[in-house]
Amino acid sequence: MTLPLVKVEGVSKFYPRVHHPWERLRAFAALLRGKENLNGAEVLHDVSFEIMPGESYGIVGENGAGKSTLLKVLTGVISPSRGSVTVRPRIAALLELGAGFQPDFSGLDNVRMKASLLGMSPAQLDQRMDDILAFADIGEYVHEPVKHYSSGMVVRLGFAVVAASDPELLITDEVLAVGDESFQKKCIHWIESFLQKGNSLLLVSHSMFLVQKLCHRALWLHNGRAHMQGDVFEVTQSYLAWHESKADSERQQREQLAGASGLYRISSFAMLDADVKGERVLEQGDSLEVSMTLVSPDGRAPVALFGIVRADGTPVYGVASDFDGIQGVRINANQFQYRIRFPDLLLLPGSYSIRGHCMDPEGLRVCDTVETRFRVRGQSRELGFIRLPHEWSDRGIPIAGDVSRPKEGSGE
Amino acid sequence: MRNVKRFNSVIFFQLVSRNIRTDYLENVTGFAWLILQPLLMLAVYAFVFSTLFQARMPEAAGVGFVPFLAVAFWPWTAFSEAILKANATITSNAALIGKVAFPTELLPLSAVAATFTMHMIGYLAVLLMLQLTGTDLHWLGLIWVIPMLLLLAIFAAGLALMASALQVFIRDLAQILPPIMTFWFFTTPILYSSAMLPASLAPIFQWNPMAWYVSRLREALLSGFSTLGLMDLLVPVLSVLTLILGFWLFRRLRGHFEDFL
Repeated sequence: MTLPLVKVEGVSKFYPRVHHPWERLRAFAALLRGKENLNGAEVLHDVSFEIMPGESYGIVGENGAGKSTLLKVLTGVISPSRGSVTVRPRIAALLELGAGFQPDFSGLDNVRMKASLLGMSPAQLDQRMDDILAFADIGEYVHEPVKHYSSGMVVRLGFAVVAASDPELLITDEVLAVGDESFQKKCIHWIESFLQKGNSLLLVSHSMFLVQKLCHRALWLHNGRAHMQGDVFEVTQSYLAWHESKADSERQQREQLAGASGLYRISSFAMLDADVKGERVLEQGDSLEVSMTLVSPDGRAPVALFGIVRADGTPVYGVASDFDGIQGVRINANQFQYRIRFPDLLLLPGSYSIRGHCMDPEGLRVCDTVETRFRVRGQSRELGFIRLPHEWSDRGIPIAGDVSRPKEGSGE
Repeated sequence: MRNVKRFNSVIFFQLVSRNIRTDYLENVTGFAWLILQPLLMLAVYAFVFSTLFQARMPEAAGVGFVPFLAVAFWPWTAFSEAILKANATITSNAALIGKVAFPTELLPLSAVAATFTMHMIGYLAVLLMLQLTGTDLHWLGLIWVIPMLLLLAIFAAGLALMASALQVFIRDLAQILPPIMTFWFFTTPILYSSAMLPASLAPIFQWNPMAWYVSRLREALLSGFSTLGLMDLLVPVLSVLTLILGFWLFRRLRGHFEDFL
């Protein structure tokens, strides 16, 4: 039976309220009596998970979900209010790469300090010093005080020491976002070879791409609770779907507010030729026709604005009636109808929304918004969301003989 | 991390050397000040007390005021400075404590060790200077002085552990502590001899552990020991107990520093 590398059981964490110095004192008195004040803010609630040897684990969640607190509990920086944490392997945390660096001391001095904090003995450090300096690649700057370093140099030196500490479990929190392109590449390479050696990674990231790429399993923290855990793809996809629906409902709320206060409004909005119940589906290359009726209390024609956005809200195209000098058809004293047709729709397969906006007659202010979702179906393997007209040259560009291949190509 | 809870000597020595170097790093002459400053201080005291105040010791006829003061003054300075410096170590290293897991008691302990190291080098320089300027020091007394200074450092370390942990919860401590240490300084027979105390206060003041340290250090180096008493047992025991209590308190509170920093 293999033991888990990390075992987190029923961990809760309360942060005491210390708005007033007296509260600090009261909490202190409670601690002296061996009790902990549990009426503060609960940042983590009953979180349990395990990391098995050779397995990498991702933690995802919104800002403020308790991810950083969980990492602090794991690294031993704070102790949990309830529950237990067992960490077996040698761990190194890449929480803040410059942590423990003192600006007045030279890079070399700070490397020694950091190495000791990471559990390296002086003999081990002497052995690995050359590797550290080579990895950090900051040249003679190691003898300068760290306060003269650029932030990139601090990060490079910090990562180099952590890399040299030979951890079995690396805990990292979004730090790879710093540093320049080539250093990031170096770090990713290092992490990949680190994982190939059978080590484990605990990654906290907002990049689902990185989490999916590097982790096997994941935990979704929501309001301090383990909302979901399991296979990395299931967790990250549910997390993304939740995000999408949240963004959606927020948008609807905003739109309702705008609609209620607006003077000019939309009375009807319909996609023509696609009035299927439920989801509206178009074939790739179909035409899309929309009609919208606007109400104008003062009898002046409002401006209609139509827009197509991708399911995640990325705008694809938008056009307003006044751009094209179009006036709506007056149905009666206060109603105007607009109809727009997009023939041979260039959208690639995927989910989209068509939005209609009612603007004031000056075309300055959006007064009301309505949107309808639709899906474009097709077999295309093209990438992106719009098909750009293109042509391939039918005459191939001649490639010069093998003898004169460009030099830079043969170097690698 | 298994090494978190243990005393880690590698980190400890890193912190001690960092502490010492912080004080001297920016100076042109660097570590020369370690010896120069105590000697200059000695010169200042010699001038102020021998020339300006014309201070004389009534009972110790053979000993001038300057050696009388110097022998007690440096250990006191080490003791007092160690506690005051260590007091702020947890709060001022909040960023480190919040990011890196390590035995945090090393912060106050290293501050105490660094302060004692620096002042003991100065103490040695002062003693040598006293000898050169004609004071007859009992160098054999060092056999007693060294363990006594170690005990003093243990006493200081215990108080430093308590103060630095309490400072996290009671921020007022940083303001109260300096006047307390000043009061302690003047109620300890450093500038005067315990024989000069009013008879009504002497029974109370004799329980001051620092009074025992100061008078025994003087006896060891200047005049030779007087008869042994109860305090010779009590103060060493108290010093060790203070350290144990300091560790207990610190470890009880350590896990919660991050919540209150």
